[in-house]
Amino acid sequence: MTIQEIYNAVLAFDEVTVTAKTQAEIDAGTAVDTILNDGLISAMDEVGEKFSAGDLFVPEMLMAAQAMKAGLELLKPLLSGETARSKGTIVIGTVKGDLHDIGKNLVAMMMEGAGFEVVDLGVDVETDAFVTTAAEKGADVIALSALLTTTMPAMESTIKAVKEAGMSTKTIIGGAPVTQAFADQIGADGYSADAPGAVEAVRRLIA
Amino acid sequence: MSSKGLSGGIYKPLSPESIETLHDASLTLLEDTGITYESGLEETVAMLASAGARVDSGGSRIRFPRELVLEQAAKAPSQVILYARDGKNDLDLTEDKVHLGTGGAAVKILDLETGEQRSSTLKDLYEIGRLVDGLNHIHFFLRPCIPTDIPESEYDVNMFYACLKATGKHVMSGVNDEVGLEKIVEMASMLAGGEEELRQKPFISAITSFSISPLKLCTQSTKIMQACNRRGIPVALSAAPMSGSTSPMTMAGTLAQLHAEQLAGITICQLTQPGAPLLYGGIPGMANMATMGYRGGGVECGMMNAAIHQLAAHIHVPNYNSAGLSDAKLPDAQAGWEKAMTVLLGAMGGSNYMHHSAGMLESMLTVAHEQYVIDDEIIGMACKVLRGIDVDAEHLALDIIDTVGPAGNFMMSPHTMKYMRSEYFQGNGVTDSKSRHQWEQGGSLDTRERARGIARKILQTPEKSYIPEAIDQKIRQKFNILL
Repeated sequence: MTIQEIYNAVLAFDEVTVTAKTQAEIDAGTAVDTILNDGLISAMDEVGEKFSAGDLFVPEMLMAAQAMKAGLELLKPLLSGETARSKGTIVIGTVKGDLHDIGKNLVAMMMEGAGFEVVDLGVDVETDAFVTTAAEKGADVIALSALLTTTMPAMESTIKAVKEAGMSTKTIIGGAPVTQAFADQIGADGYSADAPGAVEAVRRLIA
Repeated sequence: MSSKGLSGGIYKPLSPESIETLHDASLTLLEDTGITYESGLEETVAMLASAGARVDSGGSRIRFPRELVLEQAAKAPSQVILYARDGKNDLDLTEDKVHLGTGGAAVKILDLETGEQRSSTLKDLYEIGRLVDGLNHIHFFLRPCIPTDIPESEYDVNMFYACLKATGKHVMSGVNDEVGLEKIVEMASMLAGGEEELRQKPFISAITSFSISPLKLCTQSTKIMQACNRRGIPVALSAAPMSGSTSPMTMAGTLAQLHAEQLAGITICQLTQPGAPLLYGGIPGMANMATMGYRGGGVECGMMNAAIHQLAAHIHVPNYNSAGLSDAKLPDAQAGWEKAMTVLLGAMGGSNYMHHSAGMLESMLTVAHEQYVIDDEIIGMACKVLRGIDVDAEHLALDIIDTVGPAGNFMMSPHTMKYMRSEYFQGNGVTDSKSRHQWEQGGSLDTRERARGIARKILQTPEKSYIPEAIDQKIRQKFNILL
């Protein structure tokens, strides 16, 4: 039952209860994977669905992600190497010339909420930084954000650089002016209109 | 959050001097020009004559001394409460408190599934009632369409029955004749637990179109109006002259004539039953000068209806009038702007009971399910304006700004969580604010299609009768219920 309580507490944005119940499950000897997948991650999946349906607002999604993260912090030291790595690693940032980070931060939080290892390079990120960090971390996906129409070309040059470096790392893009058509045009592997969709896109690319 | 009963009075098309001028002009009209009547009203005319009205020797003109009019108008209650049976939609009609709801006597409906225009039925009336019951910003249910599929002799009882079964909101309708009124009062008393209970908390009321503009009493409606006065049933003194045909072409002339008609009607009601609950029912409108039909969607409808509220408020009587009409044939962009204009102006004006405000198209000829959904949104937004902007320490949020600090953001502030669903209007879902991508994924639906989806969803919820089964059986034994 406590797994369900963790799930409910994430949906209630209740960080204190998530922490307490997660600790209780750990103490009771419940499998870490079960707490993670059935309690925390599946709750965030529902949060994502509710957000996409328009039933939750961005701040509520963020609060849920924050509550989820509090539980995740307790689990992290206990995760086996394989479990920790199994979900995948994402390098994320807002492209060169663009200082907008709200959307990018949302995606990063949702990725963490889905159990991915997230390396956030921040805003105004140089093309080289994406490439070298992804190589260092052995990233599965590079996620690029842009709000300005004028910085969209920086997405194209970053994707080009990844390909020229001969890396197998996948790329996804997002941001207000970005469309699926633009993603296809510049050769991105994935696109999403919102943060929960970005999680889905990454899951598809890694699976 | 309820949007009913908020205070308007922030749009005043008439200056205090103009109100005085119009009021005086109306009293002069009643004194000098007077009103006329048809045969059958002898008792009413005799009542007026004995109170001091001058009836000319030919017996066709009644002139009112202004003292008589002012004395009787002062007896009309300044507050009328129209009750609801759902425990949450009582209407406190007084001062500048604003309520908006349905109205009309449309004979056509745009079919929810085919989108085609067809004649309206008793079942349509019932379904629209259920739809309105599920829409939060439509504050009352005034019978909006005529059941053209049943005999006219069965209208009165069946229209009220369909409305009372479908919704717990206040129900108002016109009545065909005095016999119909008797039946309706009997039926409503069965629901109330007795006629005295109904009188104490009237959850039905009647529209009586006593005045045939210009300045003529309608015999049948005047009699029904007086019968309602005697029974304590609240009445709306509906009169709807059209500038250019049944009132002068000008707005001021239309208002002066209409206010005179109202003062005459109020005088009759108060002489019939002092203190009788009534709504000043002036509905100023315009003729379509190209066709001589009714022009519902003009922006001046909003202006004149706000002005008539000022004239009603001047004599301290709550008012019934009109907003939200459109001459558009479909729930299209024109319908949107015409309705938004007159509903917003009406709400800002402070009219107490604005009918026609939801669901109507083609002036007063056609209703559409989806239009009720759209108009619920328009009414909700217009009433939101009346809430104004709260400026206090909590809303100024200086401590929150300080905590977040320069270059931070407010997305996860508890203050944001507290106010994000209440500070700004949250609609019924018909307004699209999705990204293009999401909108395309949802089927690229336009306003009308989104509204139809919401209407279907409401109508698909399990039916809930507002008439208890035992009483329903008694009503069906007593009356010829065709629903």
